[in-house]
Amino acid sequence: MSRPEKPYKVNLLRPKEGHMRDEVRIILAILFGWGVCTFGFQFLVYACRGTGAGSLLTRLTLFNLPLHFWFTGQFLPLWFIVLCVIFNIYVDRITEYHSRRRDRSYE
Amino acid sequence: MNDSSWSIFVVLLVLLSFILVGLRQKSRESQEYGFGGRYTGRIGGGAAIASNWMSAASLMGLAGIIYLRGYQGLAYVIGWTGGYVLLLVLLASQIRRFGKFTTPEFVGERYGSPAARLLAAVIAIAISVIYCVAQFKGIGLIFAFMFGIGYEQGVTYGALAVVSYLVVSGALGVPRNQQLQYLVICVAFIVPLMWLARKLGYFWLLPQFGYGRALTDLAREFRIDFTLPFAGDSLFEWCALCFTLMVGTGGLPHVLSRFYTVPNVRDARWSVVWGLFFIALIYWSAPAFAVFGRLLEARQGIAFTPVTARASADVIALKTALMAGLPGWLVGVLAAGALSAAFFTVAGLLMTGAASISHDIYYSFMNPKASERARMQVAKGGTLVLAALVLLVALNPPGLIAEITAVAFALAGNTIFPLFLLGIWWDRANRYGAIAGMFTGVLCTVAQPLLGGVLPALASYFPVTASALCGAPLVICVMIAVSLATPAPPEEMRRFLEQEVHGHLD
Repeated sequence: MSRPEKPYKVNLLRPKEGHMRDEVRIILAILFGWGVCTFGFQFLVYACRGTGAGSLLTRLTLFNLPLHFWFTGQFLPLWFIVLCVIFNIYVDRITEYHSRRRDRSYE
Repeated sequence: MNDSSWSIFVVLLVLLSFILVGLRQKSRESQEYGFGGRYTGRIGGGAAIASNWMSAASLMGLAGIIYLRGYQGLAYVIGWTGGYVLLLVLLASQIRRFGKFTTPEFVGERYGSPAARLLAAVIAIAISVIYCVAQFKGIGLIFAFMFGIGYEQGVTYGALAVVSYLVVSGALGVPRNQQLQYLVICVAFIVPLMWLARKLGYFWLLPQFGYGRALTDLAREFRIDFTLPFAGDSLFEWCALCFTLMVGTGGLPHVLSRFYTVPNVRDARWSVVWGLFFIALIYWSAPAFAVFGRLLEARQGIAFTPVTARASADVIALKTALMAGLPGWLVGVLAAGALSAAFFTVAGLLMTGAASISHDIYYSFMNPKASERARMQVAKGGTLVLAALVLLVALNPPGLIAEITAVAFALAGNTIFPLFLLGIWWDRANRYGAIAGMFTGVLCTVAQPLLGGVLPALASYFPVTASALCGAPLVICVMIAVSLATPAPPEEMRRFLEQEVHGHLD
């Protein structure tokens, strides 16, 4: 007599095998890219203040904007869009993969 | 015609055209489909997300705060765009699969508790009220500008206009055409900016990039370094503000309920990308208004002192247009765009707030036997009460538009975001955790005004506009601790989460 399998407990940090594990993997990857570029860059600007690297960050210009201002004001919103596109393409792909295994419903 | 009569004319024209287009759309749709609302594809869905999002905070407050605080103000740009990443990856598809439309409904269903539902409804209404105060300030400022009257009078007339618009459009049953709205708001913001850039002699085809030269001129001619990072503020303040606005975006009730208007999950996800792009178009442009404003003021010899700058920050876009001598009709277009964004945000929020009073508080909690008619009357009365409450606070606004809005985001990030995050991603979270979490969240939001005098060291970790960097993680910890110390939620909910929300492809 085999004992029934222990029910799965929903937990972001311990995803269920299959679609959910793939989904959580891309979620964590995107969150990493989101956090490092948003907050990591500010730490970098802050830590480099007054040093040679810091003046490089604020003196170099792109579209006549100082590099740090351009990065925060213009690149980051674009980066968020890129992250969302990557996420959607990846999730489309794993959804297709897992629904093909099941019933080809793609939804 | 002078500037202000031009703007009154353009504003009336725009508002009237929204009603007319709505009515035409309504008659066409009831012929074709028999019911309102139609699917407009991923791009249309994105435009709807963006027009739902655009408010006085985006069109007036953002340029104002950047004008006032330079690099520090960019925290708002990042916070209000980066929040959509959180929303998309952590919540969008899961909430849709959960299938509850409003925040109180989700909380009531997930945590199986009328008390938690009531608390969530009260918090959601409080968020709407704070958000509306900022919108009312914007409306009041524009009315004051258009009619050449004082701010108090302007905001009172503005409130009357919003309520009468609600009554008229409610009586006619006008559907909102959000795609058209986004188009009007976007054009009304960017065309005057292009004109401005051209007039000042900068690259005008893409003023979002063209303002770089203005920044250089500002530094060269007047020695104003606009971009200095962390000049008056600390790194902690920047990150706390940015993080608060991000989690607030993920917890704002009227943003969360957007994902149900699109027929399937895949299109809902892709429309978020389009929505974010449409929002970014405006947010790339807002700093340009701030920079042109500083440059023109410096050239005209107007001193930039903290007091005068604070007073004019929220109308800096309009002021810049006037200083540059833009034609009157174009100033009117700029005012009309900002006004209609504020107007429709207020109308939407007051209506959902009143519906929530009637449904989640009156019907579900106080009088379950209430008739349809009684509920309708409570909803109508609720609209007026909420509008009056908002007007009362807005008569003496406690801060800049962006700052007031940030408080609403802090409250949403401290209470509703953790509720959704744990509710979706952790099946052990229960009603006791939810209720304890909501109380902690409210406490974190008001920590600075409440504890500032007694425990200034502790209060400094919870700045009033940016309390969620410490607040949201604290609330999540409290929810986890209380949930683990109390009985687990019913087995059905766990199975529902496992099979429907996370197991749709198993």
